[in-house]
Amino acid sequence: MLHDITFTVNGDRYVVAVRSHHTLLQVLREDLGITSPKRGCENGECGACTVLMDGLPVNSCMVLAPEADGAVIETAEGLSKDGILHPLQQAFIDHNAVQCGFCTPGMLMSSKALLDRTPHPSEDEIRYALVGNLCRCTGYVRIVEAVMDVAERE
Amino acid sequence: MQPFDYYRPESFEEAFELLSQPRKTAVAIAGGTDVIPQTRDGIRRPDLVVDIKGLPGMRDLAMTSMAPCCGAGPDECLYVGAAVRINEIARSSIVQDHWPILADAAASIGNEQIRNRATIGGNICTASPAADSAPALYVLDASVLIKGPRGEDRCLPIAQFFTGPKRNALKHAEIVAGLLIPGSPAGTLSFHEKLSRRKAGDLSIVSVAVMAFPSANSTTWRLALGAVGPTPVRAPEAEAILARGYDAEAVDLAAASAYGCCSPIGDIRSSLDYRQAMVVNLARKAIRAVVAQLPQA
Ligand SMILES: Cc1cc2nc3c(=O)[nH]c(=O)nc-3n(C[C@H](O)[C@H](O)[C@H](O)COP(=O)(O)OP(=O)(O)OC[C@H]3O[C@@H](n4cnc5c(N)ncnc54)[C@H](O)[C@@H]3O)c2cc1C
Ligand code: FES
Ligand code: FES
Repeated sequence: MLHDITFTVNGDRYVVAVRSHHTLLQVLREDLGITSPKRGCENGECGACTVLMDGLPVNSCMVLAPEADGAVIETAEGLSKDGILHPLQQAFIDHNAVQCGFCTPGMLMSSKALLDRTPHPSEDEIRYALVGNLCRCTGYVRIVEAVMDVAERE
Repeated sequence: MQPFDYYRPESFEEAFELLSQPRKTAVAIAGGTDVIPQTRDGIRRPDLVVDIKGLPGMRDLAMTSMAPCCGAGPDECLYVGAAVRINEIARSSIVQDHWPILADAAASIGNEQIRNRATIGGNICTASPAADSAPALYVLDASVLIKGPRGEDRCLPIAQFFTGPKRNALKHAEIVAGLLIPGSPAGTLSFHEKLSRRKAGDLSIVSVAVMAFPSANSTTWRLALGAVGPTPVRAPEAEAILARGYDAEAVDLAAASAYGCCSPIGDIRSSLDYRQAMVVNLARKAIRAVVAQLPQA
């Protein structure tokens, strides 16, 4: 079954025909070519597919495409403005919080949602917010340091 | 995922019609955090998926005077629509102020992304013995409001809603509309704790909820456990022991007796031996945490 959905991704409005059984992740990657959300476990465990949906981090592999009708979606592609990286992106680079990079877009989006809600979170709050984002490379310490760095700024 | 058709009805009548189509396998979906992985794994093969989030009242979270089935006076009940997200409950200031045990239980579920999609109705309808909202709902004496295709609305105490592992009391095409949670008197104390393999983001090995209602000359207790049998359980014997007194000896006795209500199994998350030991440990820890807030016996 096909559904015409209208939604916004990184400020751009899209009208797309989607299938009932496809996920938001599939639509972003395969129909729109927005590939920062990664397909990891497809089971809600790893967070590599994390995007913001109406401001909240969700696993895009767990959202049916027709459910995204009317939604405002943000992905890592939308973080930098006019060629200037988002403070979180720059902090991830400065703190060497990226190795293979597979988890990074999801980590950035979860961290952005946290800072949007709580501009100066504690380390515990950062760790709690990132429980759903797995990284098999860095051991998390540098990722948490990168987010702490941005969280401690005015 | 195998193909299916997705519908988003706007009225209960429309939803019942979709859910009871002849020769079609229909499944209700709220947050989809159980339905989507099950469908992807082929455990479910729905022809149609009926999204019930948009039905009237399903997203409401508010005080209500709809008291008849929760036994409280007017305006003392919390109505939680079945499609209210777990994180909306965890972050609600009404819930944090008046039903902190429910906020804590909600905050212990899965991870941030899951809590932003998963709903309270989905958590009880899946009826996992390890459903993390359950022990809190049991000690809060929550009621489940159910709507049926022939207009036969009914209301069940939470303990009658869970009927077995992954089994609930819903009849064909019925929908949980919401939960009613009675208000607690001022001075009520509570504690919720979940033990899992990781500190967060995993299902429970054991979870426990304890509430105490102190009054002038006695304290009433409620204790419930999750992941320790086919359904979550209350532990009436432990409650009775604590009602007679809560010195160190009584606490140990109560925790040990809580085990009598459980029939745990060994599974991928824990051996049987470990789970048995943890029932008693976690019950004792939770009771002690409440006792620490009470005037000493
Ligand atoms: C990574 C991950 C971690 C998780 N961690 C936890 C955890 O720590 N603790 C825990 O308890 N659970 C956990 N879960 C399980 C799941 O997230 C919860 O059970 C959740 O509350 C289900 O809600 P939902 O709205 O997503 O349900 P859905 O998947 O939409 O539905 C679940 C079931 O309930 C039925 N249903 C839903 N709403 C209604 C209704 N209103 N009326 C009638 N039937 C209905 C559906 O038909 C289906 O059978 C986890 C899941 C994942 C993927
Ligand atoms: S790919 Fe979505 S959570 Fe792993
Ligand atoms: S950097 Fe490789 S998974 Fe995180």
